[in-house]
Amino acid sequence: MKKNLITIIVAAVLVVIFALLLFTFQVRQSEVAVLTTFGKPADKNLDQPNLYFKWPWPIQQVYRFDQRTQNFEDKFSENLTADGTMLLTSVYVGWRISDAKEFFPKFAGGSVLAAQRQLEQMLRSAKAAVIGKHNLADFVNSDPAQLKFAAIESEIKAAVQTELATHNYGISLEFLGVKKLGLPEAVTQTVFDRMKSERTKYISEAQFKGEAEATKIKSAAERQAADVIANAQAAATRIEGEGVAEAAKTLSVFQQNPELAIFQLQLEALKASLNQKATLIFDERTPPFDLFRTLPANPATK
Amino acid sequence: MSDHDHKHSPVEAQDAGSQALAEALRSSFVIVKFAMVALIFIILGAGFFTVGPQEKAVILRFGKPQGEGQKMLLNAGLHWSLPYPIDEVVRIPISEIQKVTSTVGWYATTPEMELAGTEPPAGPSLNPQIDGYVLTADRNIIHARATVSYHIDDPRTAIFNFASGTNHQFNLAGVSNAVQNAANNAIIITAARFNVDDILTRDIAAFQDAVRQRVNELVETARLGVVIDQCQVQSVAPRQLKDVFAQVTTARQNRDKVINEALSEQNRILSQAGAQAASITNAAESARTRFVTSVMSDAEAFAKLKPEYEKNPKLFSEMELAKTMSVVLPNVQDKIYLPQRADGKPRELRLQLNREPQQQKSAGQ
Repeated sequence: MKKNLITIIVAAVLVVIFALLLFTFQVRQSEVAVLTTFGKPADKNLDQPNLYFKWPWPIQQVYRFDQRTQNFEDKFSENLTADGTMLLTSVYVGWRISDAKEFFPKFAGGSVLAAQRQLEQMLRSAKAAVIGKHNLADFVNSDPAQLKFAAIESEIKAAVQTELATHNYGISLEFLGVKKLGLPEAVTQTVFDRMKSERTKYISEAQFKGEAEATKIKSAAERQAADVIANAQAAATRIEGEGVAEAAKTLSVFQQNPELAIFQLQLEALKASLNQKATLIFDERTPPFDLFRTLPANPATK
Repeated sequence: MSDHDHKHSPVEAQDAGSQALAEALRSSFVIVKFAMVALIFIILGAGFFTVGPQEKAVILRFGKPQGEGQKMLLNAGLHWSLPYPIDEVVRIPISEIQKVTSTVGWYATTPEMELAGTEPPAGPSLNPQIDGYVLTADRNIIHARATVSYHIDDPRTAIFNFASGTNHQFNLAGVSNAVQNAANNAIIITAARFNVDDILTRDIAAFQDAVRQRVNELVETARLGVVIDQCQVQSVAPRQLKDVFAQVTTARQNRDKVINEALSEQNRILSQAGAQAASITNAAESARTRFVTSVMSDAEAFAKLKPEYEKNPKLFSEMELAKTMSVVLPNVQDKIYLPQRADGKPRELRLQLNREPQQQKSAGQ
């Protein structure tokens, strides 16, 4: 009996394992699965990781899809802006299968490549439409208020999303951004020519500006210096005037005897004027030479 | 014991046959039992697996990753999981440093050239298929690139939400692609709002900050499950115009030098003027002091002389005059005395004034 029990247990385990393999399937974290019954897809996406039950083949069949975000970049393509500039753009998108039951009947065998081809077409027309509405100044602008880069990106994204929604492709767009922005090859050369002449202008401008600025600074400094000195001279005159005014207070002393004061000033003036290299011519009335007059007359000096 | 008694009966012979069968069955049961035990051990043993140094592993139980956050990732070493199909081990190639460089803004070059520090020869134009570049706000063409280092913050998102291709494989290529495109977009969109001189010389740091900020924004809004550690931005003028750009830099440096020299000249002029002004006012101050003092002392002297003078003004005057003359006369170079003519008529005197006072002559009649 004991042996039989073991046999039964072993058999049961084997049967359970076999049944599990036949009647269950797993969905991994990154996957979404759709169950078809006699080829007809169920209207439910199995997008949570778990163990699921099914009837064995050929009744039910499991189709698995990667529901992770896929990176897709379109070709570098030319479009005309509203102001007639040929602009080359390439965008990258993060897309994923959001509704597998809608997705896989629309693309042969749920082919991701087919979906990306479809996506590329949609991107091409969305880009042409959106870029055609904008000027080059919306793409490159130093004024953040006029730069509409982010708006352009979201316009393209919105256009593609609308397209995806109307056809119900079961695809969702997670993010979209411009990957590359360029000009046609021939245009790059003219841009280089323009940049070169601009640089040359800057070189001469820098030279000219430096000298002009330096001259301006120096002449301003000189003017300021002249002002300072003129102010100082004015101050000096004022100081001297103050001195005179102060000295004038002593006038009362001299007023006590103006004759003496004048006499003294005359003496001072005499001293000062006859300081050196002077020639004096006297007659006998000038003291002290009047002494000569009182002497007995000399013989005439003829 | 009783069995031995019936040893030689035909039943015994039959028994021997069945006994052999039983024996065989028993031994095969032993083998089966052994095999089952072995199988259990094999199954359990098969649950052991190793993780290498350049990879991490995640255990999926019925498809669901086990462990939350960083604990989800099993490090290098020996690990054990339940047998398939309950548990599934997925290995993720992952290096310590996650680093990507933007691909769109730089001219075509090779890693060898990068290392050697050389550049490919510059043609007259840029082929958009080969050479990357960015357009600046003032519609210049320059080269720029960003190198982004990041780490995985949320493994569930980074590994299970981003794919690179349709092979159902698990790796970080999908998320690394997304980070790279974020860097590409950041470079393009940031350059589009900066002027060329700001990017290259005037405001390098602001450009780098703006790129970094944009990368962070994109990584956050796309919920990549990574955190940016570093974002280095490099930008250069196009090879075709390297020389003129360098000349502009030199010219601008010269300009700054000339202006700085003018500023120091300005300082010199102003301080000199200040000094001169101070000396003028100082001289005036001292002249004033001198003047006032001398007038004061004159007044004092006058006050002393006044009583003397008032005693006898005439005598005083004459004495003073005589004193003064005696002081003055020695200084006078030529002294000519003309006495009165005997006939009382005025004398005629002729003076010839030359520049040289020495040659002055007097002629008496």
